[in-house]
Amino acid sequence: MRVRTSVNASASPANEQEVKPFVDPEDLGAFNPAKALGEPGSFPYTRGVHRTMYRDRLWTMRQFAGFGSAEDTNGRFKYLLEHGQTGLSTAFDLPTLMGRDSDDPLALGEVGRCGVAIASLADVRRLFDGIDLGVVSTSMTINAPAAILLAFYIAVGQEQGVPLNRLRGTLQNDILKEFHAQNEYVFPPAPSVKLVVDTIEYCTKHLPQWNTVSISGYHIREAGATAAQELAFTLADGIAYVEASIQRGLAVDDFAPRLSFFFDVHNDFFEEIAKLRAARRIWAYVMRDRFKAKQERSWLLRMHCQTAGVTLTEQQPMNNVVRVAFQALAGVLGGTQSLHTNSMDETLALPTEEAAKLALRTQQIIAHETNVSQTVDPLGGSYFVEKLTNEIEATAYGIFDQIDAMGGVLKAIDRGYFRRAIAESSLDQQRELDRGGQKIVGVTDFVEKGRHGVPTLKITQETEDVQIAQLKALKQSRDKARHRAALERLRSDAQDGANVMPALIEAAEADATVGEMMDTMKTVFGSYDGGPEW
Amino acid sequence: MNNTHPRVLLAKIGLDGHDRGVKVLARSFRDAGIEVIYTGLWQTCEATMHAALQEDVDVVGVSLLSAAHLTVMPEMLRLRRELDIEHIPVVLGGIVPESDHASLRDMGVAAVFNPGSPLDKIIEKMRELANGQPSPRLDDIRAGYAKKNPRSLSKLITLVGRGEGLSGWTPPSGKAKVIGITGAPGVGKSSFIGRLGKLLRAKAKKVAVVAIDPSSPITGGALLGDRLRMMTGSPDADFFIRSLSSGDVQGGLAPHCREVVAVLNGYGFDYILVETVGAGQADIAIRTIADRTILLLMPDSGDAIQFSKAGIMEIASCFVLNKCDLAGADAAQAQILTAVDDDRPLWKVSTVRDEGIDAVADWVTST
Repeated sequence: MRVRTSVNASASPANEQEVKPFVDPEDLGAFNPAKALGEPGSFPYTRGVHRTMYRDRLWTMRQFAGFGSAEDTNGRFKYLLEHGQTGLSTAFDLPTLMGRDSDDPLALGEVGRCGVAIASLADVRRLFDGIDLGVVSTSMTINAPAAILLAFYIAVGQEQGVPLNRLRGTLQNDILKEFHAQNEYVFPPAPSVKLVVDTIEYCTKHLPQWNTVSISGYHIREAGATAAQELAFTLADGIAYVEASIQRGLAVDDFAPRLSFFFDVHNDFFEEIAKLRAARRIWAYVMRDRFKAKQERSWLLRMHCQTAGVTLTEQQPMNNVVRVAFQALAGVLGGTQSLHTNSMDETLALPTEEAAKLALRTQQIIAHETNVSQTVDPLGGSYFVEKLTNEIEATAYGIFDQIDAMGGVLKAIDRGYFRRAIAESSLDQQRELDRGGQKIVGVTDFVEKGRHGVPTLKITQETEDVQIAQLKALKQSRDKARHRAALERLRSDAQDGANVMPALIEAAEADATVGEMMDTMKTVFGSYDGGPEW
Repeated sequence: MNNTHPRVLLAKIGLDGHDRGVKVLARSFRDAGIEVIYTGLWQTCEATMHAALQEDVDVVGVSLLSAAHLTVMPEMLRLRRELDIEHIPVVLGGIVPESDHASLRDMGVAAVFNPGSPLDKIIEKMRELANGQPSPRLDDIRAGYAKKNPRSLSKLITLVGRGEGLSGWTPPSGKAKVIGITGAPGVGKSSFIGRLGKLLRAKAKKVAVVAIDPSSPITGGALLGDRLRMMTGSPDADFFIRSLSSGDVQGGLAPHCREVVAVLNGYGFDYILVETVGAGQADIAIRTIADRTILLLMPDSGDAIQFSKAGIMEIASCFVLNKCDLAGADAAQAQILTAVDDDRPLWKVSTVRDEGIDAVADWVTST
């Protein structure tokens, strides 16, 4: 039997590997468990970042939410907090993610649609109204304008009287994967990375509890990369941030413990588990040996996982509940620190409350009913899983060599390497599907006539109109001289190559909008058209 | 019209960056023998429909995963009516709830594809829609062209590019200067042309661009992606961009390129910018149709040395060193100056930072 795995860099059929019906000890070669695995919670952390893992503390069930206006999302946040959630996770709408104001012509029809609309400090003040930023931790999924959103958060914290060193949260802030896959970039790669390092530097000095970058493979995988490419590209991006921060003059042990990772959990059950285990082992060696980090906390790869949105199908949508459950289980067996489970209706629209609740219940059943949380790394020592872990690790090192040979991640972006590689893998997978080499239940096989509709969420156009009106009012009423001076300081700090965080905080307090701050920085940094490979 | 190689424009509208689907389609269409014009991310409805007109496409495909389809599609169809190109079918792909399909079809969307639609079905539908179009009469096209109807210009270019439509008729002679733009792949020709064109428009000049990309030698399909780097700012009837495929023509141009340029010239453009395929050293056919040729180079590529051995340095009227925001610009400049020992001008520019290009525009309009 031929079974497809994608541990190779390319998913093309020529590179398919035969999966043996069972794996022998000899297949592992010179496998040294003490060196390759260690114990859970000790170097190289293949088996997990903590000795007791979920026995002492379950993974965080962090469901991403955000829609409509700041008031709408504030209401949802308060509901979640009242029901025992301690961490907030914010989804922004597309205009905000792209650093554009709600009244920008390209924002047509997208305001508040896929997340909350934020244009100014006033919106963030409304978003966290009645929520103590000294108590909650807030995750913000944003990249190109991440530094601006951090500035807003800091400004609201200061208004609430919370000292900077008590603010807790996470910025996604991973611009490199935007160039590879998600396309929410604005400035060219080099100044974009400079902005990320500005936030790392600022937080290292002032916000010691802030997770500065969530280095993400999720979007790379969803765009079509193989598991091995996801692993290798993500860790290569991590290496690039570490190098850039060291170049800035930061000591590796001062900032590395606040870097975290974000992976996709796809369908191929054991391959995904192997990927998460290999990720920890590679990062531990890279941090200890390549960057000479001394502290154990710098060696640890802490991760968030999310089930694979791209595997969900519109046909027979209830089947998605089952897919998500298996993927979530793989994430748990792979040792994730937090998990988001997708809702079964996501290929149709934004999730309804019912669908989102079912996704959360899926995690709770795994956590409390299956007992998988009682034994750390239960697949450790499986000939098959250890062999897969070794193979995906070796493939990742091979890809690192290719990237190094091109002169590093930024040079490889200049050449369109990542985008081309991902597009080729994605096309290979589509062709494999069209050839009948990959079955999808309810789509290629076991097809049913007629549609089994599920209810979907509707968002009205009203949010857009209200948001635009509020923005116009703000632009009328703000102190114009103060606003102009703050943007001028931002421009000149950017021009001088200074850390722009203080200027961004000042601009936030002067009611400058996200779009205005981005446009000001564009005059210095330029804008990017995607590089040679679209 | 029965097209062997239908022309399909694929567009992402708005800020949604989910382009996995549209990229898979673009490549698959090319491999199925279709000429694909992909306009890239972050386009407005208006720019997209103007592109559809200028490119004379057979189908417009919109990819939307932002849930904005009920706002965007009516606007697309309104613009289609306003531009008088209602013969072009518009289709939609993306995350579209089943409950919205009927209203989309009722408003005039020709087809809706959801995730999981098989590629061969989509391709079949594209061919069916393309072949279902009526052929306009040649006399009507010529008459429209004479009255400066952009739709007729667009259609005439299609015919002329196939070697038709010129028998017994020649376009009026014009006064346009034809500027060839050549250089290796990845050097930034299209972005440069986009910005140069804008500067020429600022000098009140009417500008046409002919952008040529290679065809697949096997299927005859093509991925025409130059336009996406040129479309900056709002659409403009006097900034006419046309993407062509090289077909089986060698040397960097497209079939009947000279005739296409003549048609644009007779229409009344002041400048016609011709972007070659970008195959590099062999791209010298441009000299046969251009009044002036700009050779684009970039730092760190070794081009200067390579090209100095080949004909392309000889045919250049001037040199533009792009990407001067990157390291190595000064060294590259020194290299070029060593290789070129005459007084042809050299400029350092950066399209990313939009720097230095105004000097090139001044040269173009003053020589």
